[in-house]
Amino acid sequence: MSARPLLRGVAGIATSLLGLLVLTFLIGRVMPLDPVLAIVGPDADRSTYEQVHRQLGLDQPLAVQFGRYLLSLAHGDLGQALLTGNPVARDLVRVLPATAELATLAMLIGVLLGVPLGVLAATHHGRWPDHLARVLGLLGHSTPVFWFGMMGLLVFYAWLGWAGGIGRIGLAFEGNVPTVTGLLLLDAALAGDAPAWRSALRHLLLPAAVLGLHSMAYLSRMTRAFMLAQLSQEYITTARVKGLTERQVVWGHAFRNIRVQLLTIVALAYGGLLEGAVLTETVFGWPGFGSYLTGSLLLGDMNAVMGSVLVIGVLFVSLNLLTDALYRVFDPRAAA
Amino acid sequence: MTTFHSAPLRRRQWLCATGAVLCGGPLHAMPASPADQLLMGMSMNNLLSLDPAAATGLDALAVGCNLYDSLLEADPHDVARLVPALARAWDVRQGGRRLVLQLRPDVRFASGGPLLAEHAAWSMQRVLKLNLAPASVWKSYGFTAARVQADIQAPEPFTLQVDLPQPTDPGLVLLTMATSMSALVLDRDAVLAHETQGDQGAAWLTTHAAGSGAFALQTWRPKELLILRRQPGHWRGEARLQRVVMRHMTESQTLRLMLSRGDLDVAGGLSAPDVQALSRQPDLAVESVRRGNIYYVAVNARHPRFADERVRRAVLRHLIDFDGMAGSVLMAFGQTHQRPVPAGLPASLPSPGYRLDVAQARRLLTEAGLADGFDTTIRVMAEAPFTGIATSLQATLAQAGIRARIQPGTGNQVYGAMRERNFEIVVGRGGGGAEAHPHSSLRALVYNPDNRDSARLTNFQGWRTGHADPTLNALIDQALVESDAARQVALYRQAQQRVHEAVGGLQPIAAVTDTHVVRRAVQGYVGHPSGATRLRDVFKVGPA
Repeated sequence: MSARPLLRGVAGIATSLLGLLVLTFLIGRVMPLDPVLAIVGPDADRSTYEQVHRQLGLDQPLAVQFGRYLLSLAHGDLGQALLTGNPVARDLVRVLPATAELATLAMLIGVLLGVPLGVLAATHHGRWPDHLARVLGLLGHSTPVFWFGMMGLLVFYAWLGWAGGIGRIGLAFEGNVPTVTGLLLLDAALAGDAPAWRSALRHLLLPAAVLGLHSMAYLSRMTRAFMLAQLSQEYITTARVKGLTERQVVWGHAFRNIRVQLLTIVALAYGGLLEGAVLTETVFGWPGFGSYLTGSLLLGDMNAVMGSVLVIGVLFVSLNLLTDALYRVFDPRAAA
Repeated sequence: MTTFHSAPLRRRQWLCATGAVLCGGPLHAMPASPADQLLMGMSMNNLLSLDPAAATGLDALAVGCNLYDSLLEADPHDVARLVPALARAWDVRQGGRRLVLQLRPDVRFASGGPLLAEHAAWSMQRVLKLNLAPASVWKSYGFTAARVQADIQAPEPFTLQVDLPQPTDPGLVLLTMATSMSALVLDRDAVLAHETQGDQGAAWLTTHAAGSGAFALQTWRPKELLILRRQPGHWRGEARLQRVVMRHMTESQTLRLMLSRGDLDVAGGLSAPDVQALSRQPDLAVESVRRGNIYYVAVNARHPRFADERVRRAVLRHLIDFDGMAGSVLMAFGQTHQRPVPAGLPASLPSPGYRLDVAQARRLLTEAGLADGFDTTIRVMAEAPFTGIATSLQATLAQAGIRARIQPGTGNQVYGAMRERNFEIVVGRGGGGAEAHPHSSLRALVYNPDNRDSARLTNFQGWRTGHADPTLNALIDQALVESDAARQVALYRQAQQRVHEAVGGLQPIAAVTDTHVVRRAVQGYVGHPSGATRLRDVFKVGPA
C-alpha cells in the first residue's frame, strides 16, 4: 500500500473516532444525570455541591470542557472515573479482559455450533435437520438472554451443581490469583493454582454457553442463507456432474465461497459481544465491559463513558481492518 | 485456618478437567464457604469512595467501621447508648461547650505507628477542609474550615479536646462521633505520604485505607468486589475471620440461588418473596434491623396544586394506603411509621394512625375546588420498594380522581429534581441516618429556616418540599440547646405534634428496615441500626 491511501485511511479512522467522541460528549451533556450528585450524594449542602461542580470543571463552557478532554487524550490520559476513583484507562484494562474471555469462548461456541448447523440445514433443505435448525434459531433469537441465563443458573448451578454460579470465580478464591493478563483462566494456569483454575472454568462455561447459543442462532441462519444461495449456482451443478463427492461439493466449493461473507458477520457479532453483553453480565455478576459502561452511564460518569466509547470505536475499527486483511487471504480477487 | 493449597496442574489434569466440564460432568466441588472466610453478596452501587471525608451512605459506613476505629461506638442493641472505643472516657465541660476524650494508649495503625489524639484531631479537621458531603453534619454544629484547627485540638498525646463553636446538644455531637463515617480516625502519616496537589490524600483514600480497624483492605474493585483481611495484633484481639469477601450483586434471584447452594454466608438486598422463600430453609436465618431513615411521600408545596394545605392533607394523610403497603410492598423493607422521629428514642411518639380514607380526601379536595381531581406526576426510583409504593399511591390517588403518572428514574434523577424543587410528588427515602437523635431526623426531614429559592438549602428535605413552618423551626432550634433532658424530650414531642397539626410537604410512611439473610453457621453477626455492622466478632461454626 502506498503512503497516500494509508494516510487517507488513518485520517478517516481518526475523523470517525473524533465524531464518535463529539456525539457522545454532547449526548452526555443533555442527559438528565448529574455527576456531581453521584459524588456528593443527594443530601449534600449547597457549598459542597458547588465546590465539586467547580472541581469537575462543569462550570466551564462545553467547548472548553471538550477541548480539555481532547488535550488530556492527546497525552494518553482518559481522565478519572467517578464510579471507581481510578484512571479510566486502568479500569478498562481491568474490565476488557473479563469481557474478552467471555466473548471469545461464546464466539467459539457460536461458530463451532452455528456454522455446521447452518451448512447442515442448507444441505438438508426442507427436511428435518433444516426444521431443527430453524427451531433452534428461533429459540436462540426470540428467547431473552437473561431468561436463558436465569434458567441456566437454576438448572446447571442450583439443581445439578455443574456450573460455578455467579461471578468469574468462586468467592473463596477471589483475590488469590495474581493478575497478569486479566484473563482469569490463563492467570490461574500461570499461577499453577488448580482449584482456582477449575473454579474459573466452571464459572465461565455457563455464561459463555448462554451467549454462544445466541450467536449460534444468528450464525446458523446466516450460514444457511449463504449456503442455499451458493448451492443453487451452476458451478455446483457442474461440480456434481463432474462426479465430486457431496462433501467436496459442499465444503470444497460452496463453503469456500461463503467464507468472506461469514467472516464479516462473525467479526460483527464478535464486536457486538466485546462491546458488552450487559444482560448476561448482569445475570451472572460478570464484571465486564458492558456492566462498566452501563454503570458509568447511569451515574453520568462521562470520562468513563467517553473512554469506553473510544475503546468500542477502536475495537470495531480493528476488527474491520482484521477482516479486510483476512479477505485478502480467503479471496484472491480482494488481494489483486 | 482453611486455605486452598495451590498445586501445579499437569497436562493430564487439565485435559480431564476440561473434558469433564465439556461432557457436562461436575468438577470436583470445593467447600463452598471456608470456615475462616465470610462470603457476602449485596449491592455496592452506592459505594463510590472509601475516604471517610468523602464517602456517603450506609454502605460506606459498613465497610469503613471495619477498616477504621471510631472514638466511640453506639451499642447496636440500644443506639442511643454510647460505649467506649478508641476513647476510653469522655467528659462534657464548660456548660456543654467543650468535649474532652481520653484515648487508649495501646492502639496502633495497620502501618505500625501509634494512634495519637493528634491523628483524631487531624482526621476531623480534614473533613472540614475538604468540605465534601460528610462535612455537612459538622458544619451544622458550627464548625468551619477556617477555625476547625482551633476548635479541635490534641493538648496531650492521648487527650482530644473539641470546643463546640455554637450552642448545641453535646450528646448529639458525641453520637455523631460514634456513628458517622466522617469521625473515623485516619493514619495521618500514611495518608499524607500519598498526598497529591494538596488533596490531603483524598485521591488515594478513595480506593485505599489507612486505619487501625480489625480488618485491612486487601482488594477493592468498585461495583465488583471488596476483600477485607484480618489485621494482626488489633488492640481488641484479632478478628476471628481471616477474610471477609463482599461481592457486588444486585439480582435478588441470583443471591437466593447462591444462598441456597451454600456459596454465600450473608446476603442483603433480597426481594420480599425471596426473603420469604429463604426463611423456610432451616440453615438460614432472616435478620432485620430498623434504620433511622424513613420512606416517605413528599409533595412540592411551591407547586400551585399543593400550595393549598387541604390538598396536601388529602394526599398525604388520607390517600396513602399505609396498612395495605405494610403487608405487601414494604415487607422486608420497612415497618409502618408515620412520624419524622424514629421509634425507640425517649422523644419518640407512637404513629398518629393515619389511614386510607378516600371519602375524607374527596371532601378536602372539593373544599379546595378540586372535586374533579387533577393530573400529577410521581417521581420514583426504579427499584423496590419505591416502585411498589408509587404504584399503590397511584391507585389510591385515582380513587379520589387524581390522575397520577409514574415517572421512574435513577436516584440521581429523582433526588436531583427534588433538590431543584422541580417535582410534584416524590416517593423517597431519607432522614437522620446514622445518628439516633430526634434533631438529626427533624432537621433532615422537616426543618426549613429559609424557604426562598435563592437559599438553596438542598440538604434539607423541608426546603426541597417548599414548606416552612416558623413555629416548628423554633421548637427544633429550642430543643437542640435545651440542657434539661426531660424538657428537651418534651420539646421534641411538641415538634412532632406540630408536624401532625400543620401538614407540611412530607409524610413518613415507614421506618427503613435492612434485611439480611444469614447462614446459621455464622455466629456473632449483629446488624447495626446505624449501618456500622462490625465483623470483628463474627465466626463460623459447624460444617461449612
